[in-house]
Amino acid sequence: MAGKWYELITGSLDDKKAYRRYKARIAALPEPYGTAAKAFERYLMYNGGITDGDPGVMITMLNDFADLWERAAVDQTPVADIVGDDPVEFAEAFAAAYAGKRWIDKERARLTDTIQNLDRKDEQ
Amino acid sequence: MGKQMTEMLKGTLEGIVLALIAGQPAYGYEITARLREQGFSEIAEGTVYALLVRIEQRGLVDVEKVPSEKGPPRKVYTLNARGAEVLDEFWGTWSFLAERIEQLHHRIDDAQEAGE
Repeated sequence: MAGKWYELITGSLDDKKAYRRYKARIAALPEPYGTAAKAFERYLMYNGGITDGDPGVMITMLNDFADLWERAAVDQTPVADIVGDDPVEFAEAFAAAYAGKRWIDKERARLTDTIQNLDRKDEQ
Repeated sequence: MGKQMTEMLKGTLEGIVLALIAGQPAYGYEITARLREQGFSEIAEGTVYALLVRIEQRGLVDVEKVPSEKGPPRKVYTLNARGAEVLDEFWGTWSFLAERIEQLHHRIDDAQEAGE
């Protein structure tokens, strides 16, 4: 899909708008959900590495993430019931659901190729 | 929840959730509640949510957004044909594993009894 020429430089404006809408949803969460959501967001952004892939995937993830916390806030579900015993594991499981390319995927492909090529050399 | 239980559930929770949806479409909280009814009392809602998102991304369920009185619409998950195939495969794998592990268990018990 062809965007406007300046989006090549700035990134898609639609994505930016979607991102700003997401930020507003998180900012509007009551406590303790706001603090919890921001803490997970920080981890997802830092560790997820989804940002270098399709921005659409990231927007989908963030919207689902905002849905989860808004729902929890409305139902007054305790944060512990949402994330369980291990917040890190929850964050990892959540991020893993999104098919964005992660930088580690390139390294995985490289390792797999190298080992497969070893076999081919053996056969010659 | 014990570490071993957590590890074992990790591999089977997807199948369990697919089986629960196969019976009746449901939204996230209902699925967590059904799991608790079945005795999986300590599964976090977020774990189920992340799993539902994953099976949605993989195209195993159809999702309908149903407006709720307060808050964002609830996503209702329905198993589709692709999901039903994966569920069938899960039951096949599960039966195989359960049978093999049970046999191993008995063989080792018998050996211990014989040794005593």
